[in-house]
Amino acid sequence: MSAPFQRHRITPWILMAPQLGIVLVFFFWPALQAIEQAFYVEDAFGLSREFAGLVNFKAVLSDPTYYQAAGTTLIFSLAVAVGAMSIALLLAVMADRVIRGARVYRTLLVWPYAVAPAVAGVLWLFLFDPTLGLISGLLGNMGIEWDHKLNGAQALALVIMASIWKQMSYNFVFFLAALQSVPNSLLEAAAIDRAGPWRRFWTITFPLLSPTAFFLLVMNSVYAFFETFGTIDTVTSGGPGGATTTLVYKVYQDGFVGQDMGASAAQSVLLMALVGGLTWFQFRYVEKKVQY
Amino acid sequence: MATLRLNGIRKCYPNGITALHGIDLDVGDGELMVVVGPSGCGKSTLLRTLAGLESITEGELTINDQRVNALEPAARDIAMVFQNYALYPHMSVFDNMSYALKNRGTPKDEIRRRVTETAQLLDLAELLDRRPRQLSGGQRQRVAMGRAIVREPQVFLFDEPLSNLDAKLRVQMRLEIRRLQKRLGVTSVYVTHDQVEAMTLADRLVVMNGGHVEQCGTPMALYERPATRFVASFLGSPAMNFLPVTAHRGGVVLPNGNPVALPVAIPEGRAATLGVRPEHLIEATSVADATEVLEVTVEMLEPLGADTLAYTRLPGLEEWLVVRLDGAHAAREGQRLSLAFSMAHCHVFDSQDARVPLADTEAQACQ
Repeated sequence: MSAPFQRHRITPWILMAPQLGIVLVFFFWPALQAIEQAFYVEDAFGLSREFAGLVNFKAVLSDPTYYQAAGTTLIFSLAVAVGAMSIALLLAVMADRVIRGARVYRTLLVWPYAVAPAVAGVLWLFLFDPTLGLISGLLGNMGIEWDHKLNGAQALALVIMASIWKQMSYNFVFFLAALQSVPNSLLEAAAIDRAGPWRRFWTITFPLLSPTAFFLLVMNSVYAFFETFGTIDTVTSGGPGGATTTLVYKVYQDGFVGQDMGASAAQSVLLMALVGGLTWFQFRYVEKKVQY
Repeated sequence: MATLRLNGIRKCYPNGITALHGIDLDVGDGELMVVVGPSGCGKSTLLRTLAGLESITEGELTINDQRVNALEPAARDIAMVFQNYALYPHMSVFDNMSYALKNRGTPKDEIRRRVTETAQLLDLAELLDRRPRQLSGGQRQRVAMGRAIVREPQVFLFDEPLSNLDAKLRVQMRLEIRRLQKRLGVTSVYVTHDQVEAMTLADRLVVMNGGHVEQCGTPMALYERPATRFVASFLGSPAMNFLPVTAHRGGVVLPNGNPVALPVAIPEGRAATLGVRPEHLIEATSVADATEVLEVTVEMLEPLGADTLAYTRLPGLEEWLVVRLDGAHAAREGQRLSLAFSMAHCHVFDSQDARVPLADTEAQACQ
């Protein structure tokens, strides 16, 4: 490091302090507390607790509803990640080809990202409300009985749709930027090399998008695991019958509704490990298929 | 093998800009036609319309007498080498070269045979497994050539393929391209802004300016008989000297009153431009046919080794007069030189910048 930087040893820390403070208070501290709490059993009023070793973990892992939530999470996350990425890619490819009014399309397609998860949830809730919803009414006219308050599969489909709608914009921005950075001359060379539009996309454009796609896969998995809480809470509150209870929602339910802090903390720790493992797996195996 | 014919090709963009104003051109079978011009002259647009990457607004383009205006690039059976090479970064050299063959559905073992052959021709055999990113500039350039050659197309199109290489490699690849093109005998159109490249590569040369063809012919014909002042100034390095003159008594007069006895047919008193290349200004003592002697002052010298360029000024004239002297010449700055025009190599351009034929010398040259 050069001399002027040596003299300012403290300045960088001061500049980073607000961000570091936020991370420490809102991430590391609660995370450490959760790890600690996972090894204690607490009474319902939080007045006393005693060390319990792995009892909380054993209880969680022998609870069938935990496995149900894990299964729901798997379906939910896969559907959200695949859905949000493929729809975003399709929209980005189409927006990339538009010349007239391109900015308008792009701006409109980015808007959903600015909507808060809970608000997005309420929006979809209104559209699909079994008695006064616009879309549920249309579905009723077509002979499809829509009641996500009773039908678990429909409830899951609804939160998946709402979550995809919200995440799509984020993916769209990245895919569009990646598409625009594919050199035009490559596609021209491919056109001269007798590749039709479809083949050009899959053999040239798509491989060049793969770093972006990989990044989005990681981001979307994390999104589906954690950030969809608001949407699920407003739309279905995990119901009916736990059909839309994902792992993160169950952490909230057991801890803050059921007041079983130990079980909730143990689930948090397991969830942290799970997402950590998933991200490691993605970097270890999926990244190898990425063309940088 | 193929012939390429352009008949009144016009290209207008939707925003109203016309890039090509009716280009007529015939490229013979196996000929290497070089299109040269300054940036923005429409030469790249011309190449892209040939490739089918740009549509043709008006006119007719035929390959082997078959109209191809409406054909997709894929259907024209042409190969193009791009300025930035446009190699597919995620494919190995082998895959880059075989991409077009695969798209055509060529059998696997034939692809392998053809790619291997081409790789040997271009000295790429060791590099087939590498990615473009792992190659040097020159190697990438050869892969781009290989990708075009392996297809055995009707026509090669080159879009400034050497402009991203360093000077030494450029000279080397220039020779290589010339050798390969002659050996394969494929009709080629080569676009460049480098006049040295253009002169050395071309069977025939097209000089373009502002979307028009200024002149077309063999490099030496264009060099010796430039049809316009633009062609005269564009070909040759250092550029031709231009002096404003006035027609007077069957010859011309320099602004300082110095007469030059050139037999030109320009009405008395009309303004014109006299052009003479630096190598055609000769020290008066050494030339017999030096009729008019000019006294100039050397203001600057550029020694190039074999030659020395002297930047001189004629008294009373704004324009530099660049003279090519022998490298061993003992000229010093501030020195006076006696120069003579080599009359046979002087050019006169009228007020529209078109060449005015010289009565005597032109007649001699035609014999």
